[in-house]
Amino acid sequence: MKKLILGVALVLLTLSGCTTKEKETLKVFNWGVYIDETVISDFEDKYNVNVIYDNYDSNESMYTKLQSGEKYDILIPTDWMVERLISENKLQKIDLSKIPNVANVDEGLLDRSFDPQNQYSVPYFWGNIGIIYNKNNVDAADLEDGWLLLNNPKYKDQIYIYDSERDVFMIAEKALGYSVNTTDEAEINAAYELLKEINATTAPVYAVEDLIDAMVNEQKDIAVSFSGDAAYILSQNENMAFFVPEEGTNIWMDSMVIPADAQNVDLAHKWMDFMLDEAVALRNTEYVGYTSPVVSAYQAVVAPGGMYEGIEAYVPRLDNPLDESYNYDAQLKAKLADLWIRVKAQ
Amino acid sequence: MKGFANLVRPYMVWIFGGIVIPMLLIVLYAFTKHGNSVMAFQFTLDNFIKFFDPVFVKVLMKSFEVAVVTTLLCILLGYPIAYIIANVNEKIQTLLLLLITMPMWINMLVRTYSWISILSDKGLINGFLVYLNLSPIKMMYTDFAVILGMVYNFLPFMILSIYTALAKMDKAIIHASYDLGANRTQTFLRVVFPLSLSGVISGITLVFLPAVSTFVIPKFLGGGQYMLIGNLIENQFITVGEWNFGSAISMIMAAIIMFSMYMTRRFDRDIEETSKGGGVVW
Repeated sequence: MKKLILGVALVLLTLSGCTTKEKETLKVFNWGVYIDETVISDFEDKYNVNVIYDNYDSNESMYTKLQSGEKYDILIPTDWMVERLISENKLQKIDLSKIPNVANVDEGLLDRSFDPQNQYSVPYFWGNIGIIYNKNNVDAADLEDGWLLLNNPKYKDQIYIYDSERDVFMIAEKALGYSVNTTDEAEINAAYELLKEINATTAPVYAVEDLIDAMVNEQKDIAVSFSGDAAYILSQNENMAFFVPEEGTNIWMDSMVIPADAQNVDLAHKWMDFMLDEAVALRNTEYVGYTSPVVSAYQAVVAPGGMYEGIEAYVPRLDNPLDESYNYDAQLKAKLADLWIRVKAQ
Repeated sequence: MKGFANLVRPYMVWIFGGIVIPMLLIVLYAFTKHGNSVMAFQFTLDNFIKFFDPVFVKVLMKSFEVAVVTTLLCILLGYPIAYIIANVNEKIQTLLLLLITMPMWINMLVRTYSWISILSDKGLINGFLVYLNLSPIKMMYTDFAVILGMVYNFLPFMILSIYTALAKMDKAIIHASYDLGANRTQTFLRVVFPLSLSGVISGITLVFLPAVSTFVIPKFLGGGQYMLIGNLIENQFITVGEWNFGSAISMIMAAIIMFSMYMTRRFDRDIEETSKGGGVVW
């Protein structure tokens, strides 16, 4: 038995010996395919640190991982999730004086309602939601239907929709002329009925990760898509076009935040500052296709000769009063999630 | 010898930490309500009552249907393959077994993902059909795709367990059958097949259990609208954040699985008893 204890102690000793010798480590938790990976290695070289970089595929799965006790230094959730994390005291305030590059960010994207005065977050990417369609196979006249294009029997088996309750309910609520944050039972029920009808009429496929490749390869004619994915798909396939229905849509922003239990707060600030550097932001947005909050990067890619020149999806509109962002409301979210399962299990 | 008994301790710790505690947590979650803080629990049966909603029961039925079809197809395909392997000469046997297990060296996700590019609307098969001037078939996001994915992934388990039963069989019994005047069909039906049934049954357990609870294969090949019980549980934990309801579904699932395992084992025992005296080796 003594030998066993000695052995365990030895192993532990060597393990801890390793960690003290190692460089500083920054743990980043971000969406999949949401960064130019060379940017990470540049950050590592610049500050002589290690970055542990993990991916998630939804705000919810990120939250679940945090719940399970995993610790990160940087998260990049969407606005309503930032709001939730703030309300649950899971974030710490950031020191904007350590992030001088915030000056590069478009002022219209700072001081938003989910985090007034940017006490907890700085923008990473932003955009809206619209519909990608194949110009050769979708009749331009049908686009007049707005979101109800998804309910057109002509396009049965030709539609992809994001498998995310908040986004599908946004579609139905906007099609019916309601707010995306409605808590009115009758309105939610009407939206639920519409979603069931769409499900029955066009039998859409509810997908997440395979959607981008599938649309680049023209697997289907229509897909509901985030503007940034659309910009990428359009830049890869000329037959694809993007439109955002006039009935309104969701405008969202993904922001960098530091969890309350972060281990390396100082380095996290350096990361935030690094990501908002003009050159870094340009490379990142070119690679990912999402709209950069950094003014110069944004202007460079839409300018003549820029990577997303003429690709309307890269430029989310800001002039439609019907466009809204999601509020965080735990009860509403649970209700929509439950209804959404019922639609899918039809 | 006493020293060796101590060696069991790490396994006890492992079983306790890796199986017993998580199981107890699931039971606790299933019978409580409100969020994930176990400290403030309130006992309730609501999570179980909620499950007996026609929508969820339908999901459960569908899962069983898919798993049963998958298992039957695995037997129909796996038995002849196992029989052939068991009857060729030993060198070829090793090679064939290697071929059967080889795909398992590659991650299951990757293998399932590659089916997408084979089955999709503009994928390999449909590309070929169009090339032959035939009309393309819709295969992705259908029962066909999901069951194909499952059969593909779980077939090796069936083949290997049937093969083990066949290979262990005492060849003298078969010779005796011939000596006593039975022809090949009779020998197979009356001797070989009954003796191999225990292999088939362990194959059924190995295929049915993962098939009834998988969530990756239906998610990839069936799309988000293809809801099986595994997807429902995943959804409750990951997306909805309803750990309590998710745990209740897991418990219901576990109860059903345990019951079906108990039934198969009883069936298995019955067979062994009736075939006793046949010189079963295992």
